[in-house]
Amino acid sequence: MLKKLIVFLLIATLGYTLAVTLSSIPIGKNRIGSIENPETVAAYYLDKSPNDLKVANTITAVVVNFRGFDTLGEVSVLFLAATGLASILYRKEEEEEEENIRHISHRLNLPSSSLVQTGAKILFPLIIVLGIYVFIHGHLTPGGGFQGGAIIATGFLLMLVSYKGFETNHKVMVWLESLAGLGFVGVGVFGLVKYGSFLQNTGWTGNLNDLISGGLIPLIYIFVGIKVATELTNILDILLNIKPRKK
Amino acid sequence: MDIIHEILKYIGLVFILIGSIFLFLGALGIYRMPDLYNRLQAGTKASTLGAMSVILGVGLLQPFWLIKLIIIIIFIGFANPLSSHALARASYRAGIKPCCDKEIDSYGKAVEKQLKKIQKKLKNLTD
Repeated sequence: MLKKLIVFLLIATLGYTLAVTLSSIPIGKNRIGSIENPETVAAYYLDKSPNDLKVANTITAVVVNFRGFDTLGEVSVLFLAATGLASILYRKEEEEEEENIRHISHRLNLPSSSLVQTGAKILFPLIIVLGIYVFIHGHLTPGGGFQGGAIIATGFLLMLVSYKGFETNHKVMVWLESLAGLGFVGVGVFGLVKYGSFLQNTGWTGNLNDLISGGLIPLIYIFVGIKVATELTNILDILLNIKPRKK
Repeated sequence: MDIIHEILKYIGLVFILIGSIFLFLGALGIYRMPDLYNRLQAGTKASTLGAMSVILGVGLLQPFWLIKLIIIIIFIGFANPLSSHALARASYRAGIKPCCDKEIDSYGKAVEKQLKKIQKKLKNLTD
């Protein structure tokens, strides 16, 4: 009874707070202002990204151009997360022996059916193509590097789950990841050297809605897409195949 | 031309109606059915047909999108049964028993045979 009362009180408090907060939001009112007469920074972005940068997707312009340095930080946070996960899940050999047998048995007990295997084989290339499409068209359509990378990682997850023997090539993955990260930083340094500030976009922007437009934005998103895809795939691979260290 | 457009529009609306009825029945099935397997089959069959029908209806309303939407329909028809098959198989092997009929279980015997084989393999591996 007391429990129910406490729960009720909590919900009532939460509801009251939410109601007060929501009632103070002027829903339906134009708070951005017009493009000719910008009142907020949002109007500035909405004006600047299609007209000056020639990027149809304003979110991409904000993420990659206006606050590109922050995106670089986000990518490195993901990298740190992957590294931390790998270092935690890497166990020493003494504890490993019994664990390893359990691991083998776990994988042997669950061979996925031929239906799933065939389906995964058909779906895998389609998923990879979709992911690449999403991050190449990041400046034109909704989505971008992070989303495309996550889609590619789901493709690899499908293969890892449905095939026992499927293994990603770690060397290639690590190289791709490092090169993509270097590429991002390299684009930033290019802007620093040529135009005087880090991640400065080029003056050349092309036409609105072209595949090759927006200066350096598509290039950066391709790097981000490759980096996110390889990092997430590495995380999934580590989680699914915890292997003993060899002396 | 206009008449064809009008006819297509009404056919599309009928398809959307059928699809939404099936989607509602699928939701009802998930709520009403007694155990996991019944729920899976109600959810998958009804929602696959419902989603396909709704998407086809939208395609008839907007013929410009029809090719893309047909590709989506093929994808749903391919992926939805596959995922429900995988879910049902995995949950059977994880030990979830069907609720009502305990006497007929032909898949269980096959699974036991497979498991015995695998255990033999495991013994060979560990020795």
